[in-house]
Amino acid sequence: MTELVWIIPALPLAGFLTLAFFGRRLARPAVAWIGAGSVGLSAAAASVLAAAFMVNPPAGSSYTLTLWTWMSVGGFAPQISFYLDPLSIVFVLIITFVGFLIHLYSVEFMADDEGYSRFFAYMNLFIGSMLILVLAGDLLLLYLGWEGVGLCSYLLIGFWYRDPKNGLAARKAFIMTRVGDTAMAIGLFLLLKSFGTLNVQDLMAAASGQWSRGSALAAVSAALLLGGALGKSAQLPLQTWLPDAMAGPTPVSALIHAATMVTAGVYLIGRTHALFELAPVVMNAVAVIGAATLLVAGLSALAQTDIKRVLAYSTISQIGYMFLALGVGAWSAAIFHFVTHAFFKALLFLGAGAVILALDDEHDMTKMGGLRKKLPLVFWSFMAGAASLSALPLVSAGFYSKEMILWRSFVGWSGNPLLWAAGLAGAFITALYTFRMVFITFFGQPKSDVHRVPGWRMNLPLLVLACLSVAGGFVETPDTLGNVRIFSGFLRSVFQALPVRESLAGLELSLQIPAALAPLLGLLAAYLFYMTIPANGRRFSPAARGSRLRRFFFSGWGFDWLYDKLFVLPFIFAARKNRNDVADMVNRGIAAISLSANRGLSWTQSGMLRWYAIGIAAGAIIMIGLAVVL
Amino acid sequence: MTLVELHEMIPLLILGGAVVPLLLTVSFYRNLKLTVALTVLIFIAAFTSLFFAPKPVRTDGSLLSMDGYALFYIGLFLAASLVVALLSYGYVRERKDDCQEFYILLILATLGASVLAAANSFIPLFLGLEILSVSLYVLISYLRGFTRCIEAGVKYLILAAASSAFLLFGIALFYAECGTMDFKGISEILQIQGMPTPLLYAAFGLLFVGFGFKLAIVPFHMWTPDVYEGAPSPVTAYIATVSKGAVFSLLVRFFFIMGAHQYKKLLFLFSAIAVASMFTGNLLALRQENVKRVLAYSSIAHLGYLLVAFIAGGDLAVEAAAFYLVSYFITTLAAFGVVAALSGGERDADSIEDYRGLFWQRPWLAAALTAALLSLAGIPLTAGFLAKYYLVAAGMKARLWALVIILIINSAISIYYYLRIVAVMYAEPDAGQNAGRTAFSSSPAAGVALCVMTLLLVWIGVYPQTLITIINAVINYAYPF
Amino acid sequence: MSDYNLSLFYLLIYSTTVVILVAGMIILSYLLGGRHREPATGEPYESGILSTGSARLRFSAQFYVIAMFFVIFDLETVFLVSWAISVRETGWGGFAVILVFLAFLLSVLVYEWRIGAFDYAVSGREILKSIRKAKGI
Repeated sequence: MTELVWIIPALPLAGFLTLAFFGRRLARPAVAWIGAGSVGLSAAAASVLAAAFMVNPPAGSSYTLTLWTWMSVGGFAPQISFYLDPLSIVFVLIITFVGFLIHLYSVEFMADDEGYSRFFAYMNLFIGSMLILVLAGDLLLLYLGWEGVGLCSYLLIGFWYRDPKNGLAARKAFIMTRVGDTAMAIGLFLLLKSFGTLNVQDLMAAASGQWSRGSALAAVSAALLLGGALGKSAQLPLQTWLPDAMAGPTPVSALIHAATMVTAGVYLIGRTHALFELAPVVMNAVAVIGAATLLVAGLSALAQTDIKRVLAYSTISQIGYMFLALGVGAWSAAIFHFVTHAFFKALLFLGAGAVILALDDEHDMTKMGGLRKKLPLVFWSFMAGAASLSALPLVSAGFYSKEMILWRSFVGWSGNPLLWAAGLAGAFITALYTFRMVFITFFGQPKSDVHRVPGWRMNLPLLVLACLSVAGGFVETPDTLGNVRIFSGFLRSVFQALPVRESLAGLELSLQIPAALAPLLGLLAAYLFYMTIPANGRRFSPAARGSRLRRFFFSGWGFDWLYDKLFVLPFIFAARKNRNDVADMVNRGIAAISLSANRGLSWTQSGMLRWYAIGIAAGAIIMIGLAVVL
Repeated sequence: MTLVELHEMIPLLILGGAVVPLLLTVSFYRNLKLTVALTVLIFIAAFTSLFFAPKPVRTDGSLLSMDGYALFYIGLFLAASLVVALLSYGYVRERKDDCQEFYILLILATLGASVLAAANSFIPLFLGLEILSVSLYVLISYLRGFTRCIEAGVKYLILAAASSAFLLFGIALFYAECGTMDFKGISEILQIQGMPTPLLYAAFGLLFVGFGFKLAIVPFHMWTPDVYEGAPSPVTAYIATVSKGAVFSLLVRFFFIMGAHQYKKLLFLFSAIAVASMFTGNLLALRQENVKRVLAYSSIAHLGYLLVAFIAGGDLAVEAAAFYLVSYFITTLAAFGVVAALSGGERDADSIEDYRGLFWQRPWLAAALTAALLSLAGIPLTAGFLAKYYLVAAGMKARLWALVIILIINSAISIYYYLRIVAVMYAEPDAGQNAGRTAFSSSPAAGVALCVMTLLLVWIGVYPQTLITIINAVINYAYPF
Repeated sequence: MSDYNLSLFYLLIYSTTVVILVAGMIILSYLLGGRHREPATGEPYESGILSTGSARLRFSAQFYVIAMFFVIFDLETVFLVSWAISVRETGWGGFAVILVFLAFLLSVLVYEWRIGAFDYAVSGREILKSIRKAKGI
């Protein structure tokens, strides 16, 4: 059964090829069937495969399908192979299922768009690349998927390319992630140089065997891989592209910029966790970056007025939680949070998309309000997502995953109370901005008319995801709440449990209570601030004179401004100063030499036979002269 | 001549023997479809016969050695000729009545190329070269109604004859020094001498003038753009692939049998030629507006790349050269196939402006040409990337750092002019551009051939293992000759 | 001095001599030769009648075709003669080979005859055919 794993990425790729070549000639229903159908079939295949895997796990709980060796030259033999283990199965299931729901949603959401087949072609290509990324057994193939999803992200952010703003946002996303990708590529070269292979399992085994814990090489290569992960997952300091990426259609934001692609960094670190364990410094850096990111992004989300930008900052913040978990060695907690986050963030984006569509492409929350009555289904599912995002205790999936992260950040391998405190503060902020969004959007006075009520193809994904957002957390509960360990049990063969500081084990309950209270406090604060004083909600338009702090948060802590000043301006300045200077002269020199060489050589191509003959004769003389005399 | 030897030579006999009935058929019953069908059949029959070749008997002094190396290249030439035959069906038919002889000449040229791949002595070398050249003279100027064709044919005729004279003089010097025409015999004498005499060095030099002309490497390259531009597109594809491949396969065999890698002088000579070819080809292509000429210059550069593997020597070099040639054949046939398919009866679609916005009108052809150009540029997931990677690996193994670095620099330069064509294809078409575009002259046969070439191009880029296995199995069978 | 260098030395002397000789001839004739520029200097025959028309005559293609036939069928006798003097040594194998060779030549002859390579004059039938074609009959 497991040898059919190649079907899972092959189906969306086949869909992409069909749509790319015949898309323009196909009718819209046919495009929808191919686009969503291929992903649906892929999801079905993935679930059958996962069931087979769980019922009858292969030896060592992992299975490698080597399709072929790409090339075998000079000792370098990268293989095209798919590696199936619980970690990749979790990712594959999420990608295909959430991907299918979002495709189904898009069938209706994009119905009036002229680029219908183009949209589904890109989306299918994305799903295929993402599946290749998570299934790859070789870092080179992983890198192919990595770049593939980057390309799709670029194409889809700039999907409405007629507006130059969207093109700029796409370019920004591409360039920012490219910074990380470069680091990652160097890391891959370093690993290849050190071990002569890029096969993940061989590499991890070799690294654990040959590098001691804390060795410099391990730290450097882990840090370089981390660079790639930071770029892809929009973590500090490479996070600024994600809010701008909201320029793409909303299903794209839901699929790529919330549920799947941005978590590729989490996957990469999880996949190469053995390497990171060898580099405690880097692990600490991951945890600190995660904690810092979740606070910075959470505070930024608090000041946004564009509903999608709130969600974008929230995504950055939630991935910050995952990085925090990774940094303290709570691998399965990070993956668990990825799963619940995929459910509720996709749900929130899709709900926001429904709202935006209903209000005729209105993104500004200050112009929304009172939608609770008009879009009840959207409201209730959005509520489920919001509850899960803010981790309301017991009744939401997000609670269980976030609780797990907080607990581990305190007692975990390299955890400490400071990280825990940051996470706790983040939980409060999360609830605050989430319910601020809910109250402004769905409560209060209606401010605009609803033009369109979503149909079943948009409602169904909302409902399914809402159920998952509520109930998805019951596969893993803490000791104090039933002690269900299905999820981490499934992942046990991938992640050897790292030691927990047993001395602190007794603290569990006393730590859970603040963790459960923080979101409730956030909800209460939001209620008091935005519901009881409705004017507060309105004060958040960018035009309104806000406090300096609010503007600071609104601009995402001024990172764009900082990068402008730090990199772009000096670069432009240097370029301007340097206009006639050395650096330019090299470039121009090469171009000029090439061109003049071209002109000089063109002169020899006179078209005159006698010159050609002379050329041959002269060549012969030179040849013989060199051969004889030299 | 024994029966075994006859058995060995069956592929050549099929090619040579089939020409006569074909000629008689043409004399009495002119039918283009029939001729093309018979030609295809002959190529397929010869190709099939390769699989029934007996294990080669090593008799020293035999003129031809039909070993695995020869069989591999003969198979490659037959397949490429088959593609050219299919590509030219629609193309030639549109430009000339009664063009059955085109196919007879094509078979003869392939016979010459096959003899070259198996040549074990100077006599079959010269015979094969002349059979190939004489057929090409006619093929190049086959469309007599077009002055460019005539011009290209005359240029090729005169220069090829001159280079043949150099070659012949070189052979004469070898014979004068060694008293034998046999490669093995000469290499034995060289071994005894230890170091070649000046006369032998001169003979090597003269021989390489002849080879260099056919391979179009600097400084014997100047005919290339003119002939490529003037010749009918399928014939250009043939010159670029089979003609060059045949001479290159011969060069490798000759060089290896002679053990010439121990003579540093010759290696230096070839390094200089390789560097000059890479730079000249790529720099000349930079601002070229004519697609056929761009491809001509690019072929000069590509032969320069190929020489790097040749200079490197060793096991990997033979493998690398074979891999490179196969992928270069496929890529070039695809590229010229598109040019041929786009060319109407009036003129060839060779100006870069003919390709503006091609993607929006003929997406399939544009995709095929894009794949071919990317492969020529050596972008990953195409055959060209792996081929180039092979060359770099072979060069690094032999520690030819300077050459490898120059190869990489040149690859970077070359991307500019390949991508320029690609960019033009995806640009918005001008209004009224359609009126200027030459008519479509493809036939289903050409379409199928083009499709297969493009698929192979990607297939080898993604899954090269089959080809590598074939190359290793077939060539190592004979190595080291 | 080693053998190699010695022979190289001879080559050097030889080629230097050739270069000096040729250059000397050209330079001497340039220096010593008289130069004059009169109206008739450029004419082909300085002291003869004025030529009319161009020297580049166009010959009918048939002219060359005959020359080529001659070369082809004349060369065949070379092979035949060389076979004839070794007929006993080569035996039946040689006989078979020369038969194949003759069969090739014969088919070439048939081909040339069929494509009308031997029609030296334009045939009346062809003219009539082309007229009919032009009139569309």
